[in-house]
Amino acid sequence: MDGALDKLVTLLLEGDAQASLVEGRRVRATGQDGPRLVVAALEAAMDRMGAKCTTEQFNLLEIMLTGRAAMAVVRDTFPDGVGATRGTVVIGTPQGDVHDLGKNVTKMVLAAKGFRVIDCGKDCPVTEMVDAAQREGALAVLVSGLISPVIPLVRQLRELLRSRGLGPVKVVAGGAALKQCAAATLNVDYVAQDAFDGARFLEGLDAVPQ
Amino acid sequence: MNGLERIVTAARFERRAEVPAVPQIFGHAARIAGQPLREYLTDGVVLARCQLAALARYRADAVFAVCDVNVETEALGSRLGYRADAYPSVEHHVLEAPAEVAGLRVPTPTSSGRMPQVLTAARMLRSEVGDTVLVTGFVLGPMTLACQLLGAERALYAAVDEPDAFESVLDFAVEVALAFGQAQLEAGAHLCIVFDPSASPAVVPAAFFRELLADRTRQLQAGLRGHGALANWQHIAGPVLPLLPLYPECLVDIANIDYCVTVAQARAALPGLCLDGNVRSLAFADADPELIARACDELLDAAGPAGFILSSGCEVPLEARPECIDALVAAARRHKA
Repeated sequence: MDGALDKLVTLLLEGDAQASLVEGRRVRATGQDGPRLVVAALEAAMDRMGAKCTTEQFNLLEIMLTGRAAMAVVRDTFPDGVGATRGTVVIGTPQGDVHDLGKNVTKMVLAAKGFRVIDCGKDCPVTEMVDAAQREGALAVLVSGLISPVIPLVRQLRELLRSRGLGPVKVVAGGAALKQCAAATLNVDYVAQDAFDGARFLEGLDAVPQ
Repeated sequence: MNGLERIVTAARFERRAEVPAVPQIFGHAARIAGQPLREYLTDGVVLARCQLAALARYRADAVFAVCDVNVETEALGSRLGYRADAYPSVEHHVLEAPAEVAGLRVPTPTSSGRMPQVLTAARMLRSEVGDTVLVTGFVLGPMTLACQLLGAERALYAAVDEPDAFESVLDFAVEVALAFGQAQLEAGAHLCIVFDPSASPAVVPAAFFRELLADRTRQLQAGLRGHGALANWQHIAGPVLPLLPLYPECLVDIANIDYCVTVAQARAALPGLCLDGNVRSLAFADADPELIARACDELLDAAGPAGFILSSGCEVPLEARPECIDALVAAARRHKA
């Protein structure tokens, strides 16, 4: 990574949204490659945050602060939302579960890593997530669940996708209840232990055309 | 030895003759008794009857005068959405900004929201079981109540953006927990679990707990102990290992761990403190009794000769298989010193 981006990466990791905005503008002003450099800094910050997670120093607060700062820079750099380059994913919390903190954190992480994220919200019927995947040409549906009663709904997702001809669309589960289960138990492609683990799985997929 | 004696022995870290079995049965008791969950959560008499039915069914060592995590915030003005057979959730948080806490008053437990139902349940349970099994009360710890008053995202951002106002919310949360917990003890609970999952290192850094929550937890636990709590039970889930060394100064007697931490790790961090845990809670719904039995045997072997309560480490799911809970209780009963 360009050494000139170190300051922006540091500010993002510190979760300082205002200072990140200012530094992001300074980087952009350095030339026509400015926006690309900003994206590189965002990815570097997220990678470093992700590496921290693998050393069991994961906590939502730090990720939220970095995510908030990253989102501020993304919105400022790409006001028309053209920053997403890695494909589209759909995310939601299934019907019956109104806990959305984990989903929102994952959304920020993925957006900062260059994914276009369609947020179906909380307490969402799984059919709506499938509708969104079809409409938006998603490469994956991410489902977050804090409570165990949503498990039967998660198990339906793959078959619902197949019934719409969306068999190649991956299903990724996460959240306190779901991550206690094996992928086979949930009938999903992957069970993510945290937002970065899910992002790494998605980064390994080939993006499908929009 | 009865159930209460087994738990007291474990809490005092005395060499055990028998292992206490405490599957954390809350709303699952309604399923056992064939009652709609909503009635269980809104009527203290129904709650107590269901808990007694679960006690008769499983013969574990504790009953729980516990509704859900929304009792305090509802009593303070948050609006909940109720469902027929699921726990309620907050639809509108009473605080939109931490500074608004100045306008809140500590609720009167005998007349605020569902708090009186919890007191009714504690009173009825104690009357029925006396000192044969533990009657367990339940209060939210300061971080979790702050999140319930503000909403989790708003609370976490406020902790960074408006630290002074956020600390006022934490102080208020301690006052609420003390008032509610002490009322539960007066009604008959032997102790109150301090439930603070939002203080988990999965949510906030361990330094956050050390700087903002440890003293407040100590204040809360001291207040409960001073009001007659039999022991101080701290319930934080997730990767709690960095917090455990702080528990003695927080006056914790029983440290809950869930499956994210092994008993060996927790024992190394807290060599003289009672642990409770840590069969994976979802296993009670998705595993076989044989697997539960094996997991319990391994835990009991790892726990050492004193200071251990065999437990789920977290609430058993509503849809838990009864034979899996039976397997936990049976494993405890098999093990003798």
